[in-house]
Amino acid sequence: MNKSLTVARHEFLNTIKRKEFLFMTFVFPLFFILLMFGSSLLFATTFNQDHTIGYIDRTDSFVLPSKNVMDLPAMGPVEATNHTIDFVKYTDTVEAREDIRSGKLAAYVIIPLDYLKTGNIELYSSKRGMNTATMEISSELSETIITTLLNDKVDEDTLNRVMDPVNIKEFNIDATGESREKGISEILSEFGLPFITGMLLFISIFSASGYLLRGVAEEKENKVIEVLLSSLTPMELLTGKIVGLGMVGLMQITIWMSVGTMGAIYVLPILVKSSLLLLALVYFVLGFLVYASIMAGVGAISGSLQESQQFAGIFTFVAIAPIMFMQILITKPDGFISIALSMFPLTSPVAMMGRIAATDVPLYQIAASILILVVSVYFVIVLSARLFRTGILMYGKRPNIGEIIRFMRSG
Amino acid sequence: MPVLELKNVSKSYTNKKVISDVSFSVNSGEIFGLLGPNGAGKTTLLRMFLDIIKPDSGAINVFGGTLDPDSKDRIGYLPEERGLYKKSKVIELLTYLAQLKGIPKKQALENAGNVLQSVGMYDQKDKKVDELSKGMQQKIQFLASIIHNPDFIIVDEPFSGLDPVNTKLIKSILLKHKKAGKTIVLSTHMMEQAQTLCDRILMINEGRVVLYDTVESIRREHRNNSVILEFKGEMEALDGLDSVQRIAEHETFVELFLKDGKDTQSLLGELVRRVEVLRFEQSIPSLNEIFIGIVESGTDE
Repeated sequence: MNKSLTVARHEFLNTIKRKEFLFMTFVFPLFFILLMFGSSLLFATTFNQDHTIGYIDRTDSFVLPSKNVMDLPAMGPVEATNHTIDFVKYTDTVEAREDIRSGKLAAYVIIPLDYLKTGNIELYSSKRGMNTATMEISSELSETIITTLLNDKVDEDTLNRVMDPVNIKEFNIDATGESREKGISEILSEFGLPFITGMLLFISIFSASGYLLRGVAEEKENKVIEVLLSSLTPMELLTGKIVGLGMVGLMQITIWMSVGTMGAIYVLPILVKSSLLLLALVYFVLGFLVYASIMAGVGAISGSLQESQQFAGIFTFVAIAPIMFMQILITKPDGFISIALSMFPLTSPVAMMGRIAATDVPLYQIAASILILVVSVYFVIVLSARLFRTGILMYGKRPNIGEIIRFMRSG
Repeated sequence: MPVLELKNVSKSYTNKKVISDVSFSVNSGEIFGLLGPNGAGKTTLLRMFLDIIKPDSGAINVFGGTLDPDSKDRIGYLPEERGLYKKSKVIELLTYLAQLKGIPKKQALENAGNVLQSVGMYDQKDKKVDELSKGMQQKIQFLASIIHNPDFIIVDEPFSGLDPVNTKLIKSILLKHKKAGKTIVLSTHMMEQAQTLCDRILMINEGRVVLYDTVESIRREHRNNSVILEFKGEMEALDGLDSVQRIAEHETFVELFLKDGKDTQSLLGELVRRVEVLRFEQSIPSLNEIFIGIVESGTDE
């Protein structure tokens, strides 16, 4: 056991010094955050420009307001701002075109004679940078046109309803029958959180068990394994590796979770329950053990690092299934597929986290999936240790299925 | 008490028998040679000593019992398939491998420094393994097998890939350990090394024991009652020697095969009367010759 700890320490320290690990752990989330902040910043700055829009009204019935103040709500690092859209009347397309070329106008619209019949309005702009404002122009135009057309024909309330007819407010009915309005944070927690937790779980399980696969295959390839096995048993070596790399994965997921939680609190008010985090931890540990042991077995029977990665690809495919089915997991969390995915040991960690976030999963189902995982972990570790023992010293050639089964039996 | 004892050990892979009914023992304090051609089963045997591979049948005792973790810590092993963590620093690697042999970290670090010093590589301690030359990596690997000062050292082809100077260095380290009372199993197909280093040898071919004795008695047993002669004079002068039944001519010498019942003394008496004798010695075959003879004839005995 002492030697397993030595191996665990060595694996842990060596892995966290690897460039890939540092990149995945620190640069990747940083990149992710930059992307989020960057896009909201970009969003804000493009909309933040004041535009002057020309218009030519062939029907001669609309007067567009000259100064429109557009308000933008605060978004993450960007504070609430406003900018203006100026509508300027033109009578002649030649003049409008000239002004676009000189940069005085960002765009101009033409309201054609048959507008009332077709609803078509033409927007002309230079190619540069106007596209993002199309929606704003459209909503601004709609408002003016509706007001102009209906003015004096309906009362003010009707006018307002025509402009903004449906405004859905969501309510949750909880166990006591009380209804509660759904806030934006709840909507995000319901849909965003399962996806993010699932993704994080998937990535950290895979990067940690990936290190194991690599480690075993490399040791086999560069023959260190024989020196190691002259000092400790395959089981001790395997235990040490799994513990060491499991710690690496735990550290990684902790760093991500804390960065993610801090970031989420900063950008959006997301609710994260601590019981959920605890459960995520349990599923991480069990999920990691299953995959790490499988990877160790795969690493032991393949001839080279490259070959082992190809093998491992099959398992990656299985593991990513719950992320592909996330839509189903969230919309039909109690359906057959969802329950099956949350019970099958190779998909249960990610799938169950998704279901828990989407619905109240019965406690017995959570217990059952954890039990199935624990039992699978035991069997996978025993089988992998056998494969490890026999396969690890076979160089150059890959055992066939028959031999693999025999290794598992005898070990 | 023998350090290592094998009783009727057999091992098969898939459908090929690689070790058949091998029994022998290694005594405390000796250098024991494990010889045989490529593919004879030497490495399989070594791996079985260390419980890396389990035998199909038979018993292996190390230090008088089955191999347990404590006895594993008393063994140093240099595998034929050399392998080190290429990206690790030399000193860290050696310390780690010593720790895996149950040496506490501080002591392990100290040992690592000492063994590096003993081969003049202390300056390289902070280099990464893959920055070292092949020969230096070989030496590091060898050091890893003795860093925990083991009682029983198992080395598989320790001299392969080493220049004569380093070969001499490794040899002297092995002899130093023998002097300190350690037991050494040396597996090799370099017969000259085995002949000069080993007290006793076991030769296997195709998984079977073909020789098992002291080097001296094997060589004596395999001598073919002939004499090596270098002389000044004509070949014709050797015609009709009383005690010789056959003469084999070599480039710089001739080999005279004695008739049954004749001895070297009477031959020498005959020779000095006929030619000027420059060299006269009883021909004892080298292990190399015995080895080739056995392998080529399939099986001996």
